[in-house]
Amino acid sequence: MSRWHRSVDELAARRRQHECERAQDALSRVTSCFQQLVALVGSSADGSFLRDELDETRAVAHRICSGLSCRLLRSLSNSDFAPSGVQDRQVLERLWVLFLSALEHFLYDLRKACDLIGQFPLTEHSNRRSLVNTGCVDGVVGVAARVASVQLPWLTSEVEPSPDLTNHITGLETMMSEMQQRVPVAFWSVEATQPAWAEARGEPDDLVESLEDLMEVEVIAGSKKTACCGLGCVG
Amino acid sequence: MKAHFGPAQSGAYSLSRLTSKHKQAEKVVLEMQDPTTGVKLQPQRLVITTIPHAITGEDIVQICLFYSEARSFGSMLVALGYIYPIQDHKRLVVKPDASLYRFQTPYFWPTQQWPVEDTDYAIYLAKRNIRKKGILELHEQEQYNHLHKWMNHKWDFIVMQAKEQYRAAKERKKPDRVVFDCQERAYWVVHRPPFFSTHLLDVLLITYSGSSMIFTQQSIMRPRVKSSVSIGALVKYCATYKGHDPFLSKCLPSNPWLTDDVTYWALNMPNVEIPTKMRVERWTFSFGELLSDPRGRDDFRLFLKKEFSGENLAFWEGCEDLKWGTAATMKEKAEQIYKTFLARGAPRWINIDGKTMEITVKGLKHPHRYVLDAAQTHIYMLMKKVNNPEFSTFNSYLVPVSFPLPIHHPSDSQLEQNARNRRPSLSPIIIRQQEQEQKAKMAASAPVDITQLCRFTTPVPHLAVYSGMTDPPSANASPSLPFLAHTPACPSPISVALDSTSASERRAEASEGESEGNPEARASAGGNVSKSRMALSLRRLLKRGCTPSSMFASLSPKCNPAAGTSSRIQPISPDEPSQAPPRRIGNFFQIKVDIPPECRIYPIESEDEDEENRAVSRERVGTKEIICPWESLTPQNGTG
Repeated sequence: MSRWHRSVDELAARRRQHECERAQDALSRVTSCFQQLVALVGSSADGSFLRDELDETRAVAHRICSGLSCRLLRSLSNSDFAPSGVQDRQVLERLWVLFLSALEHFLYDLRKACDLIGQFPLTEHSNRRSLVNTGCVDGVVGVAARVASVQLPWLTSEVEPSPDLTNHITGLETMMSEMQQRVPVAFWSVEATQPAWAEARGEPDDLVESLEDLMEVEVIAGSKKTACCGLGCVG
Repeated sequence: MKAHFGPAQSGAYSLSRLTSKHKQAEKVVLEMQDPTTGVKLQPQRLVITTIPHAITGEDIVQICLFYSEARSFGSMLVALGYIYPIQDHKRLVVKPDASLYRFQTPYFWPTQQWPVEDTDYAIYLAKRNIRKKGILELHEQEQYNHLHKWMNHKWDFIVMQAKEQYRAAKERKKPDRVVFDCQERAYWVVHRPPFFSTHLLDVLLITYSGSSMIFTQQSIMRPRVKSSVSIGALVKYCATYKGHDPFLSKCLPSNPWLTDDVTYWALNMPNVEIPTKMRVERWTFSFGELLSDPRGRDDFRLFLKKEFSGENLAFWEGCEDLKWGTAATMKEKAEQIYKTFLARGAPRWINIDGKTMEITVKGLKHPHRYVLDAAQTHIYMLMKKVNNPEFSTFNSYLVPVSFPLPIHHPSDSQLEQNARNRRPSLSPIIIRQQEQEQKAKMAASAPVDITQLCRFTTPVPHLAVYSGMTDPPSANASPSLPFLAHTPACPSPISVALDSTSASERRAEASEGESEGNPEARASAGGNVSKSRMALSLRRLLKRGCTPSSMFASLSPKCNPAAGTSSRIQPISPDEPSQAPPRRIGNFFQIKVDIPPECRIYPIESEDEDEENRAVSRERVGTKEIICPWESLTPQNGTG
C-alpha cells in the first residue's frame, strides 16, 4: 500500500515538475516579447496600441510569475517530506534558480519600461514630436499574437487583477526577496545542463539569416552615392 | 545573483560627469526629432526593403553645430550611443560625409539608472551564437567562455531566453527586425567594445582628464594580499585571542561590569606585583603585546638590565616619547637621545648598523617627530628577535604568576552589596601625577646621564599647583614611602634593588612579603636585610591607628616593584607610622581636596564591610603567591 502511495507521490511530483518547466518556458517567451515591445517605447512606432500591448503582456507575465512562484515554493518547502530523493530536489533547485534569474531579468526590463513611459508620456499630441525616429514603423501584431499563444493550466483559472506598473515592480521585488529568504538554495550548486556553444548547433529547421544578409545593399554600378555594402562590415 | 565582472567602474566624479553629458545629449537628441527644426531624415535602401530615418554624417555635424558649439558634439553622441553608424558599425565616429547613421531607440540609451548587465550580454552572445552557428569574433568568444563559467548556474536560463528572444524577433516585419538587430548590435559595441579592455567611455574620460590617470595608476600600484592569506591571519588571530576576550570567554573570577566585584580589575592593574596567568600568556603572543602592557614592559626592562642590554629598551622608549610627546620639547629630546644613545662614546650606546646610523644622524640636523624611526625600528626588531625569545623562556620557567580564580557566581544579595560598594577609581589627574613621579624616580635611580632626560618627564608646573605640591618632586635618592597595592587582596610587595639580586630572588622577597609567617622564605632571602621587610596591608596599618594623613600618604603612590629603582625603599614599619616625610603628606593632603568627601578610596572602604570575604579572597590569592620558585611552580591549592 505504501509503495502505491509512494508512486502516486512520485507521479504527482513529476507532474508538478513538468508544470514548472513549462511555466518557465512560457515566462521566457512572454518576457522576450515584452522586451520587443519595450524597445519601441519612445520611438516613432510608439502609440497607444503599443502601450496596451505592454500592459497585456505584463499581466500575462504577472500571472505566470505568481503561479510559478507558488508552485516552486510549495515543492521546495515540502520536498523534505517527499521521498523523491536528491535528484528531484536538484531539478527543483535548478528550476528555482532559473526562475529567479528570469524574474531578475524581467524586473530589469520593467524598470526600463517604467522610466521610458515616464519620459515619453503620450498624453498630448505634441509629445509625439519628440519621439525618436529610429526607423521602426511596425505595429507589433506578431509579437502580441505570440504572447497570446501562451497556455498554462492556471492562466485562466487563477485570474486576479493585474497591478499597474509601479506596483508590479514592487510586487516582484518583494516576491524575489521573500522567495530567497524562505528557501535557502545555493546558486553555485546548480550547473548548466548543456555545455557551452551547444545552442550554435541546434535549430536545424530554422532559416537563419544573419544581419549581414539582411543588410545587403543593392550595389548600383558606378554610383558613388551608395554606401558600402553590408557584407563589408563583418559582425 | 549578479555576477559582475569586466569593465571596472569609473570613479565617482567621472560618473557624475557622465550623467550631465547624458542629460545634455538626450536633450539635444530629442530636439533633433522635431520635424521642422530637426535633422533631415532619409531612407536607407536595402535589397530587401527600405528603412526610413537614416541621417548622414554631414547632417549630423551641421546640426550639432547648430545645437552646441562643440564640433565634437556629434562624435560624443555617437560615442555615448545615442546615434549609431549603420555601416562600419564598430567605429563610433561621425564621418562628415554621406555615411549613414540612425538614432538609437530610448530602450538602448545609456543611463546610469540602468546598469549594463552581464546577463543581458550573455543572452546577446548566445543569440549571436545561434544565428552565426558558433562563428563569433575573438573578443566575443572570450567573453562567452568567461560568462559561461561565471554564470553557469543560470546558463540554462540564458540559452532559453536567447532562443525565445530570437523567435520573438522573427515575429517582427523584416525592416523592423533589421532595425532592432542594428540597434542591439550598436548597444553592445558601445558597452562591450571589442578593442578596449575597459569601458570605452572610461577610456574617453580618462584621456580627457589627467587626474583620473593618477587615480588609476595609484589603484594599480596598491598592494594586494590574497584573500586566503588574510583570512588565514584573521582565523589565527581569533583562535589566539579567543580565550582573552571577555565577551567570548568568561572573565575570572567574575566580570566586574556584571557583578560589581572589582577583583578582576584589581588583579590586572598596570602595576600589580604578580601578574595573572592570562596576562603573562598574552605577552607570549607577540612582542608588541609584551611592550604595550606596562607590567610586561617592566619585567622586560628588568630582564634586559640583567642582560646588560637595557639601553635598547630605553632608546625605544625615548623614541616613543619623542613621537608622541609635545612639540615644544621635541628638539631637546632628540638632542638628548642622540647624546645618550647615538653619539660616539655615548654612555648608553646602542648598536645599530652603519647605514641606519648615517640616515639618523643626517636627519637629526633637522629633527622632527619621526626622525628616529629607522633606528627605532632597527632596535625594535633587534629586541624582538634576540631579547624577546630569551625573555620568554626565562619568564615561562622562573616567574610566578597568579593563577585564575574560579568563576565566582555571587548571590543576589551579594550583587546588591557589590553594587552599593561601587566607588569611582582614582582621578586621572592623580594617576598622571603618579606616573610622572614614578618616571622621575626611575630617572633618578638610573645612571647619572639619564637624569638629563628626566627634566622632561617630571610633572609640569601647573599640575603641581593644582595638587599643591610645595616643591617639585626632585629625584630623591631614597623616597621613604611604602609602595602599597590598591587592594588588600594583593598585599604590598617591596621594591628592591635590581643590580644585586636576580629576579628570582626578587620574587622570593616579594612573595615572602606576603607570607609573614614563612620563616623559611625570609631566611632564604638573603641579601640586604633592609630590602626584605614585612609588607603591610593597609588594614594592619589602620589597625595600628595611623592618622588619616598617613593613610593617604601610604595609599597614594602606585606600587611599582619593577620600577627599576635602586633605592632602598623603607616601608613604614608598623610602629612608626609617622615616618612619612611631612612634605609628602602635605602633597597628598592637598590631593584629598579633589576627592569628594563621601567617596572614599576603595581599599579603606573594603575594610569596613565584607572583611570576611576580603580575608578569604586575600588568603586565596595569597596562598598562590607563596610560590617559591625553588619549591614548585604549581599553586598550593588546585583552584584556578
